[in-house]
Amino acid sequence: MQRRDFLRTAAALAGLPWLSGCQQVLGWGLPIDVFCPGMAAGHRLRDAAALPPPRSERRVDTVIVGSGVAGLFAGWRLAREGYRDFVLLNGPEPDGNAAAGAFDGWRYPTGAHYLPLPSPESAHVRALLADMGVIEAGSDSLRPTFDERVLVHAPDERLWRDGQWQDGLLPRGLGADDDAQQQRFLLHVKQLQQQHGADGRRVFTVPTALASQDPAWRALDGQSFASWLAAHGYTAPGLLWYLDYCCRDDYGSTLAHTSAWAGLHYFAARGGHAANAEDGAVLTWPDGLNPLLRHMRGRIGSERQLAGAAWRIRQQGKQVQVDYVDAGGAQRLLARRVIVATPLHVAWHLLPQLAGLGFQRAHLPPRAPWLVGNVLLDRFPAEPASQPLAWDNVVYGSRSLGYVVATHQLIRAALPERTVFTTYHAFADAAPAATRQWLAAASADELFAHATADLYAVYGPRLRRHLLAARLTVRAHAMASPQPGFLANPGLAALRAADGPILFAHADLSGLSLFEEAAWWGDVAAQRVLG
Amino acid sequence: MKACMRDRLLILSVFVVASCGLAYELIAGALASYLLGDSVLQFSSIIGCYLFAMGVGSHLSQYVKDERVLDTFIEIELLVALLGGLSASALFAVFAWSGESFRLTLYALVFLTGAMVGMEIPLVMRLLHQREQRFAELVSRVLTFDYLGALAVSLLFPIVLAPRLGLARSALLFGLSNVAVALWTCRVFRAELLRPTVQYLRSLLVLLVLGGGFIAADELTRWNEKAIYGDDVIHAETTPYQRLVLTRWKGDLRLYINGNLQFSSRDEHRYHEALVHPVMGALPWAQRVLILGGGDGLAAREVLKYRNVQQVTLVDLDPAMTGLFARSAPLVALNGGALSSPRLRVVNDDAARWLEQHSDVFDAIIVDFPDPSSFALGKLYSVPLYRLLSRHLADNGLAVVQSTSPYHAPRSYWSINATLRAAGLATTPYHAYVPSFGEWGFIIAAHRPGYTPPQAYRVPLKFLDREATRQMFFFPPDMRPWQVEPNQLNDQRLVHYFEQDWSQVIR
Repeated sequence: MQRRDFLRTAAALAGLPWLSGCQQVLGWGLPIDVFCPGMAAGHRLRDAAALPPPRSERRVDTVIVGSGVAGLFAGWRLAREGYRDFVLLNGPEPDGNAAAGAFDGWRYPTGAHYLPLPSPESAHVRALLADMGVIEAGSDSLRPTFDERVLVHAPDERLWRDGQWQDGLLPRGLGADDDAQQQRFLLHVKQLQQQHGADGRRVFTVPTALASQDPAWRALDGQSFASWLAAHGYTAPGLLWYLDYCCRDDYGSTLAHTSAWAGLHYFAARGGHAANAEDGAVLTWPDGLNPLLRHMRGRIGSERQLAGAAWRIRQQGKQVQVDYVDAGGAQRLLARRVIVATPLHVAWHLLPQLAGLGFQRAHLPPRAPWLVGNVLLDRFPAEPASQPLAWDNVVYGSRSLGYVVATHQLIRAALPERTVFTTYHAFADAAPAATRQWLAAASADELFAHATADLYAVYGPRLRRHLLAARLTVRAHAMASPQPGFLANPGLAALRAADGPILFAHADLSGLSLFEEAAWWGDVAAQRVLG
Repeated sequence: MKACMRDRLLILSVFVVASCGLAYELIAGALASYLLGDSVLQFSSIIGCYLFAMGVGSHLSQYVKDERVLDTFIEIELLVALLGGLSASALFAVFAWSGESFRLTLYALVFLTGAMVGMEIPLVMRLLHQREQRFAELVSRVLTFDYLGALAVSLLFPIVLAPRLGLARSALLFGLSNVAVALWTCRVFRAELLRPTVQYLRSLLVLLVLGGGFIAADELTRWNEKAIYGDDVIHAETTPYQRLVLTRWKGDLRLYINGNLQFSSRDEHRYHEALVHPVMGALPWAQRVLILGGGDGLAAREVLKYRNVQQVTLVDLDPAMTGLFARSAPLVALNGGALSSPRLRVVNDDAARWLEQHSDVFDAIIVDFPDPSSFALGKLYSVPLYRLLSRHLADNGLAVVQSTSPYHAPRSYWSINATLRAAGLATTPYHAYVPSFGEWGFIIAAHRPGYTPPQAYRVPLKFLDREATRQMFFFPPDMRPWQVEPNQLNDQRLVHYFEQDWSQVIR
């Protein structure tokens, strides 16, 4: 690698990567920024060979590589237990899939935007929420009391169908058969919520690590959700659209490409309650899940957070070398333990020794590309009085995932003068590799059209009157999709069990991209460090 | 005057005529999107209709005989001046008085104006051609000024005219320009006209009509609003936040916000005395008072009666509202100039945002928010907001909350009470009869229980005395407390209660 090349890499890795958009254009007469978090740094890591010798060397007991949910949760747990001798490498994509941005003070998410009420099994998430003050009382009880500012405010969901809004996301009025199948399905998954396997554990839990290992139930993973539904007589188009929407929303994959176990898990594993909200409520902030991450960063302390990006991780004897790049050039950390909290396709390039731990390239989970759009609006588009703007607004039949309103949780005497709508699109319909090629070549206008398809479907051209700016976030490797067979992935099992100098923490280890899963593996890794 | 000078004047009139032509089109489009919504559709269909009509007009211009071209030009100008100049006022009136024929009138007017305007340019071209101008030069000059006029108006209209003059007066102004062209033509081409005096008189008549309209435009708008409100409208204003309309009928002054009655000067003293004095009368030491909402200054008037009060902070979002009630003479007379008191500070901010972003502590807090009639407003009656409120309340201070009607909306009223309690406050509910509103409810909140109503007041009052106060705190059997749930933001029961309550009241 040439020195000039290296410097470019260093600049790309260290120079506030979340601010360096791929491109900025004036499309549709509107300033559109396109961000590809981590892309430049990630592709250089993939393509480049060696790094010049490090300029500095520092010893530290533990290094956490990556600052998404898993990495920060591990750091939060360590700090909470009074363990101080660790550092966290922020990496090129700080806050990972829970990142956020702001238009001049109007905050918005660029990734995950809500957390379901934590189930009884998610004690780790409850502990974090209690530490933040979001759980005000009864953290260990069946029904904790939550800070109402964070519980999603009514009206929470509505569905656009045939030019009108309906309450909730399940389409209604599609015929008696559809209604009956919807009811039957809801009853079915309600029973599954209480279903226990032969080992006495619940079949579906969050975190998945605590779920029953009963092979009779795990066999569900052998088929797609689509074929399971067909086999159980679920054929109604409204129900199937809704279930497909749910799979795309949580997993980035369609019914046909989602494991039946994962599909049912979506409905049967949750089941947290609140003393001051109905079941099925969620927790949300204007900028999605980012406040959770900010809180964890606050507990970790800025002195332990390094602005570099890891380049190579090598175990040498009982110690681990972490080479990383920051604005000053190449640096080295020597640690007793390293928690690799990056997505596994990144870990694959960071760790030449990964194969030795029992993880092969073929074990990398397929990853769904996502496009997150944030549009700044001047005043709110008019809404029908009978169906006012909800927090989550979904378009029936659309291949996108609708939009959420960043100002929904604000308590105001009058409507805020501005707002941000966040649109989500998971590219579930094409092969991820083909989508990535398209994304790399797409113009800002094309991405904008994709990101705002649902908004234009609902508001039509009058939307344009309100648009002030758009920011598009391309997450080309956003999340692991749980395809049939994902539970039996032996590579993931090996990394979950790893308890040597190198530990792993990421939602990828579960094969599902959920906050609770990422936090779980961060917690497990921290507990292993703490011994 | 030399011939070439006259030609130049004709060219100049092209500029004016083109400006006016485009202006009528823009005014019709703006008016239609303002009244009907969906501006893309309105503008497209109006421009389409207008351009088509211009084509028809151009076609018809060939039937004007050569010797009558100048006379016809003047007649057309006067017709355009009348049709276009009165278009906005006429459309407003049609919308206010008979909404159904609005679209028909709109397109008929647009078509007629378009057809007249379509005749203008061909006529001017023929006039110039008769004067033996070279055809190539003629076409180029006429069209240049035609398009320049269009440019001038397309910039002037949205930036200066529409915001400064409003639509009705802008239209009248352009009508007057058309008349000016007609008059000018009469004067300059007097010798060439067939009937110069008749044209002169016609022009003066149209000038009179439009000039009168220009002066009476506000009166006309008021007259139209009276059709909607019933009483005389003495002030009407659309702010970025709301539509404020003030009416007067005999001695009764009424304020409507977005069409909802806020107060009637006949009995507002009952509402505001009941809102303010049970708290202020019980706090003889109160120095700092916060009023949330209440931009009319009427609650402030009551608070300022207490000499012990040193500073009142009034937070109301709309500067137009507080400005109106600080300046308009009848309103200042009503609120006793409260908004200009040196002891009062007006903060134009969203009350909830202000509570979030400031930490000042007050001895008394008076909350006069709109009723919880929507999910957005329901949030102002929530545990998080009341907790925020209690952080601004001094340890021994009192807050009072306008809480809908315990008689007409008992679920809502008692739900607000339950919500205040859920926020950890001790509450004391009470009510008063306000003829314009009916039986109305308030709730006093404090950090600790033990509130006792005042036995006497040290300030002059019209409604409250010892006995009236005692009755306010007594709930007769038909107003007994209801067992209802507090408002939780997750489901906003209060908004459902409010809907349920009022759907059962026949008003």
